[in-house]
Amino acid sequence: MEPACRKDKPKLNSTPTRGDRARQKSAQQEHKQRQRAEIYALNKVMTELEQQQFESFCKQMQSQGE
Amino acid sequence: MTGPTSPSRTGTSSAKLSRHGRSKSTSAHCLLRCAAREESAASSPNNGARSPGEEEEKDGGVLFYVNRTGFPIEGVTWERMWSHVAVVHPEGQEMADRIRNAAYLPKHHVPSVPTFKPSMSVPDWLVSIQNYMKALQYNHTGTQFFEVKKSRPLSGLMETAREMIRESLPIKCLEAVILGIYLTNGLTSLERFPISFKTQFSGHCFHHVVLGVYCNGRYGSLGMSRRPDLMDKPLAHRTLGELVAEFESSYKRYQHTLKKVKIGLYVPHDPHVFQPIEWKHLVLNAARLGAQEMRKELEKHGRDMRMKVACETHTHTHTHTHTHTRTHTHSIKTT
Repeated sequence: MEPACRKDKPKLNSTPTRGDRARQKSAQQEHKQRQRAEIYALNKVMTELEQQQFESFCKQMQSQGE
Repeated sequence: MTGPTSPSRTGTSSAKLSRHGRSKSTSAHCLLRCAAREESAASSPNNGARSPGEEEEKDGGVLFYVNRTGFPIEGVTWERMWSHVAVVHPEGQEMADRIRNAAYLPKHHVPSVPTFKPSMSVPDWLVSIQNYMKALQYNHTGTQFFEVKKSRPLSGLMETAREMIRESLPIKCLEAVILGIYLTNGLTSLERFPISFKTQFSGHCFHHVVLGVYCNGRYGSLGMSRRPDLMDKPLAHRTLGELVAEFESSYKRYQHTLKKVKIGLYVPHDPHVFQPIEWKHLVLNAARLGAQEMRKELEKHGRDMRMKVACETHTHTHTHTHTHTRTHTHSIKTT
């Protein structure tokens, strides 16, 4: 095959380009960042819940003791 | 001690349970029970994972899922986390949706990894590490984000520690031990060893683990727990017995009875070592030993460990390789 023909040969759609990979990586990073934000928002809520329950448990134990 | 954050998932099929069941090599196990027991969950000071090879024990009704597939967290694990919290939290799905559907969520600051400076004292360095772990926060979500297999080679666990730093997410007690080891590697004047606790409250057993540290004749600890007095202790305790007694005293505040203490061997500073961490070189049944005898055994173990290091240092100096791998399972019977 002549070199010129090789240049005209269409690229396979399944082969990701460098640009695709970069976009994929960027999307993955954003996804991870969003997950991290949700995790910490959730952890804040669950930490508060645990603290409330612990305090009421302590009060309960204290009143039982009295 | 936690509030009743234990999962109260009823109706979980046995197929699901067995798929997420505990393997002997892992210290982090997935949901095994359905029913929550509020009183025991309320008293749980820490949801520590079980050690490998231990008999089946109810961990006080406090259970957790484990993310085993890396980051970003894949769909099944992610949805499971949210389903779990929706069951546990009084506001249920509404709470979950509020967060998941929020257009904007504040970006939690990524804490800077502590870097050791030669001018820092060992206690200051430990404070710096502990502050870093506290900045990551204790994980109350019910899903452990990093899988820690206690039987893995140290090198593999150090890779997990690097992942914890990279991903910067909340952690629990076992993860904190691994991270503590990683961050203290290279500080050869500091020895690190795991301390595991098994306690009992209201007929339920609870497990916890911290990283014991020893430097210049003093003992302390690093770790993470729901309760601030069950994690870091300053490098101020003259003996190992004193340090453990301090933890026992902390547990008593939550009406927990200490049942067992397991002390591991010093962890090597070389992060590329292939051998696993020795988690239970000394196992003490606190229920059968009196306080005085416990202290005596712990102090003896502390001396043995220090002598072992001295012996190895001495032989190393004389270009002798002396591997002293005596497994010391204490003769005191365990339940």
